[in-house]
Amino acid sequence: MNRAIKAAAVTGFVTAGLLGLAGPASAHNTLVDSDPKNGTNTATGPATITLTFDQPVQAAASVNSVVVIGPDGGHWESGDISVDGTRVTTPVNPLGPAGGYRIGYRILSNDGHPVTGQIEFTLTAAGAGPSTGARPDPSADGAAPAAAVGSEDGGGLPTLVWITGAVVLLAGGLVLALRLGRDSNR
Amino acid sequence: MSTPTRTRVLHRFHLPTVLVLSSIIGVLVGLAVTATEPIPGLPVPDGLVRVGLPIVRVLLDMAAVVTVGLCLLPILIGFDRPKLAEPLLAGVRRIGVAAPLVWAVAAFIALVLQTAELYPGEEVSGGAIADYVDAVGAGKALVFVVVAALVCAALGALTVRFGEQVPAELRTAVAMLALLPLPVTGHATNWRWHDFTMISMELHVMSAVAWTGGLGAVVVLLAGNRTLLAGALPRFSKLATGCLLVVTATGLFNGIVELTVAPGVSFVDALFGDGYGLLVLIKAVCVVGLAALGATIRWRLMPAIVAHGRTALIGWAAIELAVMGVAFGIAVVLTRTPV
Repeated sequence: MNRAIKAAAVTGFVTAGLLGLAGPASAHNTLVDSDPKNGTNTATGPATITLTFDQPVQAAASVNSVVVIGPDGGHWESGDISVDGTRVTTPVNPLGPAGGYRIGYRILSNDGHPVTGQIEFTLTAAGAGPSTGARPDPSADGAAPAAAVGSEDGGGLPTLVWITGAVVLLAGGLVLALRLGRDSNR
Repeated sequence: MSTPTRTRVLHRFHLPTVLVLSSIIGVLVGLAVTATEPIPGLPVPDGLVRVGLPIVRVLLDMAAVVTVGLCLLPILIGFDRPKLAEPLLAGVRRIGVAAPLVWAVAAFIALVLQTAELYPGEEVSGGAIADYVDAVGAGKALVFVVVAALVCAALGALTVRFGEQVPAELRTAVAMLALLPLPVTGHATNWRWHDFTMISMELHVMSAVAWTGGLGAVVVLLAGNRTLLAGALPRFSKLATGCLLVVTATGLFNGIVELTVAPGVSFVDALFGDGYGLLVLIKAVCVVGLAALGATIRWRLMPAIVAHGRTALIGWAAIELAVMGVAFGIAVVLTRTPV
């Protein structure tokens, strides 16, 4: 009887935990639509690019990025991304040379993992913009998010330092744990 | 006689080593199958995050397996031969404190790496980690796992002090609770069917961990003691059969749902052409192999074991643990792969 009660209690406990922790479930986002659509030809460059996903995109600061790479290898996106539910929009500079443009995106999907992807469109006639796109400053990718991320805290640590620190702490804990039973050898 | 028994149980560490190494191999195979070319212009997280994160996640799973296995061990041994069981259990209770500590630290390192993944090329500050936990469900889940694993470690320490007065069922329940947060923040809980796929995923993870942990605990710790093994293996066999059925049913359900509802690609294309589908196929092959290995142990070895005879149990169990390890490694990569 005692075992049956214990078994029932455990089942109840775990089921309660299962249901109680049932937050909104989430999964990776998938691109379902875009403007301009993948693989299309267009005579005039778009002023903004809109990517529509099947689930809401997480809109935390500086975690999403969309880049537009032209046939010259330069960047044509301008300004900040805005996220509205399942839609991500980014303004684009006036496009320059005709050719294939690739839109690359890296968004923070609903479940916390970044999702990357790429779509393409072709500009059939040269646009009014400059003939080469912006070259990203090698430190630009690092500088802007670093300002947003590190500014509240005055800089961070490399991941390896965090990992080494945690492992050292673990080693200490394990030494303590494995010595625990030794004194109580009855 | 208790001191020789305590030291004798620690001889079979090559089996847990097989399990952990095969899980890392599973991660590497999974990463190779799903490798994609980096998209030009986008920031790419460095190798430490890309490879390190799945490896830390699978080590987290392995620590959970060891914890749950040790919690299940007293239940599997039963309570009819306490004089025989107690020295053996006393010798391994310290591992019941060490394993949850590894679990907690692995969850913390995973949290640091997931924060780093969001800001490639950056250094990670405490503020960034706090922001990640605040903004992303996966961060909150990892914090919960750290706390729950530390509670498991505390219970383990109490068990070292008070022995089996700390009920094994309680320890198992707390360990199972610590398993719950991560699967619902993974990939296979689809947006539209989320109630069913979420519960299915939880059952999948709990059964897989109980199955692997139970097998490891029984074979590693009891293979030297034929009396206890003869009592524990039939009980484990019943548990394993149930776990096999749950793992297969829930795995099939989640895999089919994921592959069917993915927009833009047909089921067959996704199954055979996609990295995700290939990983699902590998896991399906693993579970078929595990069913065959389990059947071998159940039908060919168990009659001899119940009669206190010598068998090749350790060899067969080693193969089974290796396949389980690979499945865990593939599973970790699967939770990070879009269809």
